[in-house]
Amino acid sequence: MTDYDDVWIVIPVYNEGAVISDVVEHTRETFPNIVCVDDGSRDDSAARIAQTGAHLVRHPVNLGQGAALQTGIAYALAQPGMRHLVTFDADGQHRVEDAETMLAVARSGEADVVLGSRFLEQNEQIPLLKRIVLRTVVTLSPTARKLKLSDAHNGLRVLNREAASGLRITMNGMAHASEIVGFLASSGLKVREVPVTILYTEYSRSKGQSLINGVNILFDLSVRQRGA
Amino acid sequence: MVIQIILIATAVVLFVFFIRSSHSVRTQAFKRIGFVIFLFLSLDAVLRPNDTTWLAHKVGVGRGADLLLYMLVAAFAFFAVNTFLRFRSLERRFTDLARAIALREAQLPPEVVTAPAPQVPAQAAARDQASEPESTLSGGSAR
Repeated sequence: MTDYDDVWIVIPVYNEGAVISDVVEHTRETFPNIVCVDDGSRDDSAARIAQTGAHLVRHPVNLGQGAALQTGIAYALAQPGMRHLVTFDADGQHRVEDAETMLAVARSGEADVVLGSRFLEQNEQIPLLKRIVLRTVVTLSPTARKLKLSDAHNGLRVLNREAASGLRITMNGMAHASEIVGFLASSGLKVREVPVTILYTEYSRSKGQSLINGVNILFDLSVRQRGA
Repeated sequence: MVIQIILIATAVVLFVFFIRSSHSVRTQAFKRIGFVIFLFLSLDAVLRPNDTTWLAHKVGVGRGADLLLYMLVAAFAFFAVNTFLRFRSLERRFTDLARAIALREAQLPPEVVTAPAPQVPAQAAARDQASEPESTLSGGSAR
């Protein structure tokens, strides 16, 4: 078994009380270091995390997933001996095996940043409508094209220390995924995509961001760098 | 017509204002000068309503009331953009604050707490975060 002491898993959590314990416990079978950022959940997420072996950072108010990610990254960066961090969704849609594969790529030095992609291999699990929308987002995003990415909105990412310390997520809401891609494109870091499988369970389907939210994301991004 | 040039110029200025990444002390000063001029003009428009009609004819608008409407639209657009920028800068500072608090009050898992000499990384991280955006301290002139 590989040693993952220098790896930190960052999980942004918002109202995931129903599944978060299982996700954390399952992930901890492989990765010892986990930090959950509770983004001001209104359910019992925080209490459930406190019972697991994960570190818990609680936003006093709800700020958004992008803000939660940035907080988790700041926390992980402050941990001694941390060399890689993995961002992970709280709803259990990511597979630990995929994270391990991506880490292997990152550790080999082939890439500073490894992104999970749903589209590198044919994947029948993705609902057709969702597939079309995600594809459109990639096509519309100039930075995603520059990096030749096939999937700009996957929550599973591996960053090494250098990449993580350069990242400053300012989009608190859901537009952070595109913001991260934009940062990667301008940073000159080596980026690789690795095919991953998303487990679209009933639960994650019901929690997944609605497609209409894509309109909000596009607006946020279009005014991202404007003004103060 | 002169009014078309004026209105288009206003829109261009607004756009530049919107996409400029830094708002300096100069911008702030210009905003205030503009506000004072606006106050004097409104005084004049109240005391001598015919002045607006005179000015309207000068710039190619039929009535003084129409000119006022155009000016109102421009002023409102300016207000909207300004408020939007102000709100976002506020939101960023608010986020930094909440993050600093969150990191300071991080809860370690039970087994780490009982283990000897647990690191206190939260404070370090909070300091990191707090020291980074020093520019946001100065009025509305954030990054």
